[in-house]
Amino acid sequence: MTNIISIKDVYYKYPGSEVYAINGISLDIQKNQWLSIVGKNGSGKTTLTRLIDGLEESESGSIAIDGVISDEQTIWEARKKIGIVFQNPDHQFVGATVEDDVAFGLENQGMPREQMVESVDRALAMVDMQDYKKRDPQSLSGGQKQRVAIAGVLAIQPQIIIMDESTSMLDPDGRKTVINLIEELRSKQDLTVISITHDIEETQLSDRIIVLNSGKVVKDTTPAELYNLRGQLQEYGLEEPFTNLVAENLTDVIDFKGYIDEKGLIDQLCKLNSNT
Amino acid sequence: MQIEFKHVTHSYESNNPMSGLGLADVSCTINSGKFTAIVGKTGSGKSTLVRHINALLKPTSGEILVGERKITSETNNKNLKPLRKNVGMVFQFPESQLFEDTVEKDIMFGPQNFGVPEKDAKEAAQEMIDVVGLGSEYLQKSPFDLSGGQMRRVAIAGVLASDPETIILDEPTAGLDPVGRKEIMDLFKEQQKNGKTIILITHNMDDVANYADEMMVMHDSQIVASGTPKAVFNDQELLDKNYLTLPQSAIFAQKLQAKNFHFDQLPITISELTTEIKQQIHGD
Ligand SMILES: Nc1ncnc2c1ncn2[C@@H]1O[C@H](COP(=O)(O)OP(=O)(O)OP(=O)(O)O)[C@@H](O)[C@H]1O
Ligand SMILES: Nc1ncnc2c1ncn2[C@@H]1O[C@H](COP(=O)(O)OP(=O)(O)OP(=O)(O)O)[C@@H](O)[C@H]1O
Ligand SMILES: [Mg+2]
Ligand SMILES: [Mg+2]
Repeated sequence: MTNIISIKDVYYKYPGSEVYAINGISLDIQKNQWLSIVGKNGSGKTTLTRLIDGLEESESGSIAIDGVISDEQTIWEARKKIGIVFQNPDHQFVGATVEDDVAFGLENQGMPREQMVESVDRALAMVDMQDYKKRDPQSLSGGQKQRVAIAGVLAIQPQIIIMDESTSMLDPDGRKTVINLIEELRSKQDLTVISITHDIEETQLSDRIIVLNSGKVVKDTTPAELYNLRGQLQEYGLEEPFTNLVAENLTDVIDFKGYIDEKGLIDQLCKLNSNT
Repeated sequence: MQIEFKHVTHSYESNNPMSGLGLADVSCTINSGKFTAIVGKTGSGKSTLVRHINALLKPTSGEILVGERKITSETNNKNLKPLRKNVGMVFQFPESQLFEDTVEKDIMFGPQNFGVPEKDAKEAAQEMIDVVGLGSEYLQKSPFDLSGGQMRRVAIAGVLASDPETIILDEPTAGLDPVGRKEIMDLFKEQQKNGKTIILITHNMDDVANYADEMMVMHDSQIVASGTPKAVFNDQELLDKNYLTLPQSAIFAQKLQAKNFHFDQLPITISELTTEIKQQIHGD
């Protein structure tokens, strides 16, 4: 598989700060991969994505997007391939109405007006916000803002989508719908997904999960392997998956060593129940 | 403090009252000293509802009683200080609540605004920054040079420092890492045990099941159900109408029920769930 993003030995500290927010990261991300990034508050997740998008410049090391090393000249081309949904949707909004806002990225791409109207409608329909076209984005509810921010990024059809906790204020059904939508786009197009999240359920869908801690990648693995770590999870600010917590309370009746998935747990329990 | 909504309607677009209704004839009581959770889909009116409690929004019609204080469409913005001292609110987006140039000043602002001497406010900031898991090295930073979760913690510290009797939390754990989320939820529960009234808006049904005494479900600008979490999560009609999603333990119980388990009432916490499972497996 080709690397859509290739990060080598990157260090970064914010102006005026003594500590490295990104403290030596090397990471290759393959085309079409779904990568989850997890880790404690302040571990460097958002900073890493800002470096990828060239919003901050690394102190040393290099970042290549689609084979091209980013520098002051190349970053503009690279950026066209990347869509970031920011952690705070208020930072995303530029338009006075929802539709203007979603159109903004398309205008930048130089899309003809007619096509643009269509694309905006399609993107808003994907997140079920078509009825709010004429509203000021600032007047939306928290979850509605997140949906519009997602629509704005979907509209430009990026090759790489970075979602920085973009579903944190959606209701559980809404969250599932958005995740399924992204998954569908990924399977249909050559979309690469980088998702920063604290939601364990969301990470379980990814191909790969990395854990950041104090600006370093401390784990690079699959969700199943990660949730096998049990006690160590706490150290990284993570919780155990629900099935583990249930199994832990049932160790006197079932066999439980590491990560147990839902099906495995249900099968064990139903078998025990039919024996009595 | 007891809080009562009496036929409260809020229209965001006063020139066109039928569109943009934030609240549609809402009546409810939030009991003093309880931990009440408010749930409901995106845009259902949760933030609109709670913003009336400290008069950030005024009703278009109807009235709200907060303890002795009455809020109506006529309520003016003067003399709201005593109300705001009693009712603290952590906003849905913490950044909208931060404005000073250091974290310390930000946390001290509330207490000082309500008449606490500078020295005591400083002490409160010291204490609260630890309580929210950040440590005093953060006090001299700018609140805008923080990560999302760190900002959230500062906003919570600021509200707790003012020591309000009623604490409104609008999705306070969005953006917190899972360990932090649990610590902060435990902290709110602790506050309740010390006599405070807690009102929590959340999409996390497990937190509702684990922490709340009472819950309300909003849908389309109205309150469509209220009661104990156990009763509300067992209300089949609400689930059929898709007004509500279940905690993980209840969903898991439903899956077991589809096989060979039986639950008279859906368990809503892990301890309820596993207790039931053991009983059924042991056949008693
Ligand atoms: N603008 C800034 N100026 C200075 N330091 C910053 C700035 N933004 C973030 N930091 C610091 O850099 C570190 C990494 O922050 P970052 O926002 O990348 O964390 P994060 O992993 O995204 O956390 P969260 O889960 O809370 O969003 C933190 O210690 C934070 O305090
Ligand atoms: N300033 C405003 N002007 C017009 N309409 C508004 C305004 N603020 C909120 N609304 C609308 O009122 C409805 C209720 O919004 P509210 O913010 O109370 O929802 P919520 O239940 O808190 O949702 P969420 O879970 O997404 O935060 C939404 O449809 C929203 O778009
Ligand atoms: Mg972040
Ligand atoms: Mg809200």
